[in-house]
Amino acid sequence: MKKSLKRTFLCVLLGLSTAGALAEDKPLDGDAKAPSRSRLPYAWQPLQRPAVPSVKQADWVRAPIDAFVLAKIEANGLTPAPEADRATFIRRATLDVWGLIPSPEEVAAFVNDASPDAYEKLVDRLLASPRYGERQARRWLDLARYADSTGFQNDPTRPNMWRYRDYVINSFNEDKPYAQFIKEQLAGDEIAPGNQSIMVATGFLAGYPDNYNSRDLVDRKYQIATDITDTVGQAMLGTTVGCARCHDHKFDKFSQKDYFSLQAFFANTSEAMKLPAAEGDVEREYKKEQAKYQEATKDIRAQRKAILEPIRAEAEKYHKERYLTDSRESIFKAKDEWTPFDRWINHRLENVTTDNDLSQYLRDIAENKENPAYKPENEAKWAEYKKLSEELKKFDRLKPAKGSDTFTSMTELGPESPPTYVFFGGNHEKPLDEVQPAFPVALTDEKPVIAPSATSSGRRTALANWIASPSNPLTARVYVNRVWNEYFDKGIVATVSDFGKGGERPTNPELLDYLATSFIDSGWDIKKLHRQILLSSVYRQSSAHRDNVRAADPDNKLLAVFPAKRLDAEEIRDSLLVASGKLVDKVGGPSVFPPVPSNLNAGNMWQVSKDPQDFNRRSIYVFTRRSVPYPLLEPFDMANAQQVHSKRDVTTTPLQALTLLNNDVVYEWSQALAGRIIREGGNDPSAEIDRLYEILFARAPTDSEKSLLLGFLVSHERVIKEKAADGKFAIAVPIGFKSSEPLDPIRAAVLVDLVHVVVNSNDFAYRF
Amino acid sequence: MGTQSRREMLFNALYGVGGMTLAAQMPGGGIFATPALADTFVDPLAPKAPHFPAKVKSVIWLHMQGAPSTLDLYDHKPELIRLAGQEVPPSFLSGVKTSTQGGVGKLFASNRTWKQYGESGAWFSDLVPNIAQHADKLTFIKSSTTIGATHDISILKLNTGDLRPGRPSLGAWVTYALGSANHDLPAYVVLYSGKREPRSGSVNWNSGFLPAVYQGVPFRSGASPILNLSHPELMGLQEQRDDLDLLRRLNAQDAAEHPENTELQARLRSYELAYRMEGAAPEAVDLAKEPDAIKSLYGLDDPASKDYGTTLLRARRLVERNVRFIQVVSGELEAASNSEARDWDAHEDLEKNHGAHAKAVDKPVAGLLTDLKQRGLLDTTLVVWTSEFGRTSYGQSGNGRDHNPWGYTQWLAGGGVKAGTTFGETDEIGLQAQGKKVDTYDLHATVLQQLGLDHLRTIYMHDGRAERPTVVYGAVVEELLA
Repeated sequence: MKKSLKRTFLCVLLGLSTAGALAEDKPLDGDAKAPSRSRLPYAWQPLQRPAVPSVKQADWVRAPIDAFVLAKIEANGLTPAPEADRATFIRRATLDVWGLIPSPEEVAAFVNDASPDAYEKLVDRLLASPRYGERQARRWLDLARYADSTGFQNDPTRPNMWRYRDYVINSFNEDKPYAQFIKEQLAGDEIAPGNQSIMVATGFLAGYPDNYNSRDLVDRKYQIATDITDTVGQAMLGTTVGCARCHDHKFDKFSQKDYFSLQAFFANTSEAMKLPAAEGDVEREYKKEQAKYQEATKDIRAQRKAILEPIRAEAEKYHKERYLTDSRESIFKAKDEWTPFDRWINHRLENVTTDNDLSQYLRDIAENKENPAYKPENEAKWAEYKKLSEELKKFDRLKPAKGSDTFTSMTELGPESPPTYVFFGGNHEKPLDEVQPAFPVALTDEKPVIAPSATSSGRRTALANWIASPSNPLTARVYVNRVWNEYFDKGIVATVSDFGKGGERPTNPELLDYLATSFIDSGWDIKKLHRQILLSSVYRQSSAHRDNVRAADPDNKLLAVFPAKRLDAEEIRDSLLVASGKLVDKVGGPSVFPPVPSNLNAGNMWQVSKDPQDFNRRSIYVFTRRSVPYPLLEPFDMANAQQVHSKRDVTTTPLQALTLLNNDVVYEWSQALAGRIIREGGNDPSAEIDRLYEILFARAPTDSEKSLLLGFLVSHERVIKEKAADGKFAIAVPIGFKSSEPLDPIRAAVLVDLVHVVVNSNDFAYRF
Repeated sequence: MGTQSRREMLFNALYGVGGMTLAAQMPGGGIFATPALADTFVDPLAPKAPHFPAKVKSVIWLHMQGAPSTLDLYDHKPELIRLAGQEVPPSFLSGVKTSTQGGVGKLFASNRTWKQYGESGAWFSDLVPNIAQHADKLTFIKSSTTIGATHDISILKLNTGDLRPGRPSLGAWVTYALGSANHDLPAYVVLYSGKREPRSGSVNWNSGFLPAVYQGVPFRSGASPILNLSHPELMGLQEQRDDLDLLRRLNAQDAAEHPENTELQARLRSYELAYRMEGAAPEAVDLAKEPDAIKSLYGLDDPASKDYGTTLLRARRLVERNVRFIQVVSGELEAASNSEARDWDAHEDLEKNHGAHAKAVDKPVAGLLTDLKQRGLLDTTLVVWTSEFGRTSYGQSGNGRDHNPWGYTQWLAGGGVKAGTTFGETDEIGLQAQGKKVDTYDLHATVLQQLGLDHLRTIYMHDGRAERPTVVYGAVVEELLA
């Protein structure tokens, strides 16, 4: 950051144009021009396993990573922090691994576990739970710019994307080796043709924002390839290759040729969105619902068809003519003359053309007197067609509300690929030289070995093999750094998706290389990587403030205290569901629509699920509509689904406060939590407060907190009574409370408010 | 002034980012980070000094969604009227990649009457008689161009500068660069008319790779404009105040234990701010105290213009309350089409469509200009009439027009622009811009300039790349500036 900041200063100071200033910027270590690989950014150089450093405080070292961290701490004349207490530790670890708060029973079991392997048992239990996969998947989906809709103006649902989401969850839970995980996502269709469970992995590529309405299919092809290339570059290689699309990279040894050579791996990649899915419960349910809809609408659809069918050929032609000139060249070419490029364009056309598009022809020949096919009698047909369409809409509520009986995979349409060119200034209308698929020359001398099959170019397999190869200098480094970033709030390389010269330097390069090499040596075992960190002394440190550490290392780069962190958006919501006892703990399945504020005004973009069970699923299962981010999560810096989301920001805003304070659903959770503490605390104020703190914070309240809260129970009663005195007696009472003893409604309402305040407090929103 | 500085001090302590103390460590580095700021508290919305003295304090961005035919509003083309009904002479089509719905239609002239207004003598059609009264306040850009033939792609470019989603919108850049001038309200507000939120939604007021705190906050119709602004139904106001007092005391205990964590202090204060916003935001959009004359000025007494007029009157009230960037999206109208509610997208029956839309916006826009002027706010506000593209000179479906990204009209009014002038032109039939063209990037650079920001120096470090609002394009259109 220092480096980039300096650059920024320079620009501001000298009033230079950014571009100019950046272009002239020399990296600080003065390795500007030399082309040899030894002069490349550190993380682009081959990986070597570093020696574990020796340290003074050797008994602190539980695992080699401790030695790497401690060596730096000691070199700065500091000592590591004391251990966090066990209750703090289990809340921290459970939030980090599951994204949920632990139950008071889990806390008690761990705190009272006298066995020597208490920590190991805890960590293994956490990693064995499917909740681990859900949490890890959410982080990966951020990188995959995951969404359940296409984005853009109409933002229609992509009914199959949840299958990719479930693939990611399951892969983490099965502890699929990382190398295999990324290979499947890049080339699952080539690696395992016909195997649905592997092919859906290519949802990673298929998640690009898309606009089915676009009249410029040639541009669409380019935009899609660009999105895929940039996503792979950032998410898997930690490089901002996208910068080289319009010009040679300003900092890194990435030429435009490198960029388009990388894009060439995806030149023939095409979306298959209606492959029949293997039949399970979801598919059966979907088909059942679909059949009901089909039956109910049979007549209407037949009547519509009868109107459209006689003019279908003309309507198709009319529709095809609405595409731009260069798209039309491919569209109107005879099929036997199609090049691979034409084939791509026509496949795209087929993917996005609907009967609604065709009906526009009918409208034109009914309304447009300039159309040679115009006939006055068409007006009645068009009117009838419109009427039928309106009728049909009334049955929309019968359509299956979720799920699908199809799956999506990226595939190829044949072994030959369309050509790829370097585009002048990134403009696809200005092609320069043709390029072949190749790896960036600055990263490797390796040449892709491409083996086409009868149906596919084999290009993506070649790319996948290189990215997932142990000799790739970036892949392992980038991933272990992401995992480190999750635990310590900052990567060893802080710019987690830019390991190039524009990014930050690693604060501890030996540690990064140790993690990366041991990760590869373990067979890319992700759970082992987590386990190693979770059981380290570094991770066990307390987050309590230390004056001397703060003074010496204000940014906490040395990790001589554990960094406290605000919970992610999903952690906040999911933990509240746990606390209120409402969480529906079911893994996988179609995405769901929980209730949203009534003035959201999202219309049919957000049709609340019929099944109330859906309201209380984990946040990862909440539908991601690109144009309508789920309002409960959005204020808390949730991932932006438009592009690779590398790191969650932490901002603090009044909109967050308004959400937690005023949202009806959150308030209901507080009511339910109040009911729970009465149930579990035995209708005794002091015991109820204790229970509340155990549930939310895994600890007992301090004396001053206790007295503050008990005092509130008394003083707030007056406020509630005044309110109740208005005669309407609309007060919130606990939910889910069943007791033989009747509850004083005033006192109960006071307790709800107390719970709601504690839910809103900093202690809940942070993990320490 | 004394209150002002107390306020500022408070503002400086109100927000936190990332638990870090250095401006340098705000995500992206913080453009105005200086060593002097080190160790002071970081408030991402603290007011920041511009690069040079600003001409305006606020921007009202009037996005006419669906793309009006400016050929039928401002860009008077006698030659088009003369040639109407004929094929487009091929010379006019060179360099244009047309899409055709049944072929490029014949040149089309709608049934307009045209008049010159004001000292500037600018032409206006009979669709906008009220805006025409402000001829001498407007700075026309008649050589506007953009990319794309589909609404959403070009709308995205209009707001964010990219054809693919993910970049910050102009309003987010402004908020990032200048901070907020009123912490009781969001600094960047989106208003819209019509029954539903604009299609493609938040991506057009998104903060992209900037922290989410800079994104636009859509104000919804009705008394409670922000989601979750009102306390839960079952909770009284006094009750909430009492709750907040407890919360403050609880959080203060926490914060005392972690003196290093400025984020905790910021969170403590964010609840007080939220409480103030609960009062300030409904007040800002409450038109009850506006006199009838003002309401009528904005066309609130006419059902045809009431909806849009309400958004513009709200916009003025937000300008008075120092909201920096107000993005107003015109919505769909039932009256604009025979079949379904439609925006300005007049592929057919332009007469009906533009008749309805012009009626909806003409009086409110004129009213806004009058009202800003009479309150002395026009000098410190920039009003931008903009759209994702224009419409073709050739007809479509017999009585409509297709999309035209090659040449259309936008205008500016307010502080620091050359009022009563026209810059640029289209060819004789109004299809393609001639001479110096003004792309969306140039428009963005120019708007930023008026806010005191150099678009080349408005920088955010993202994934190792110095990003700016105009990507790698754009130049200030000096000819537009006074």
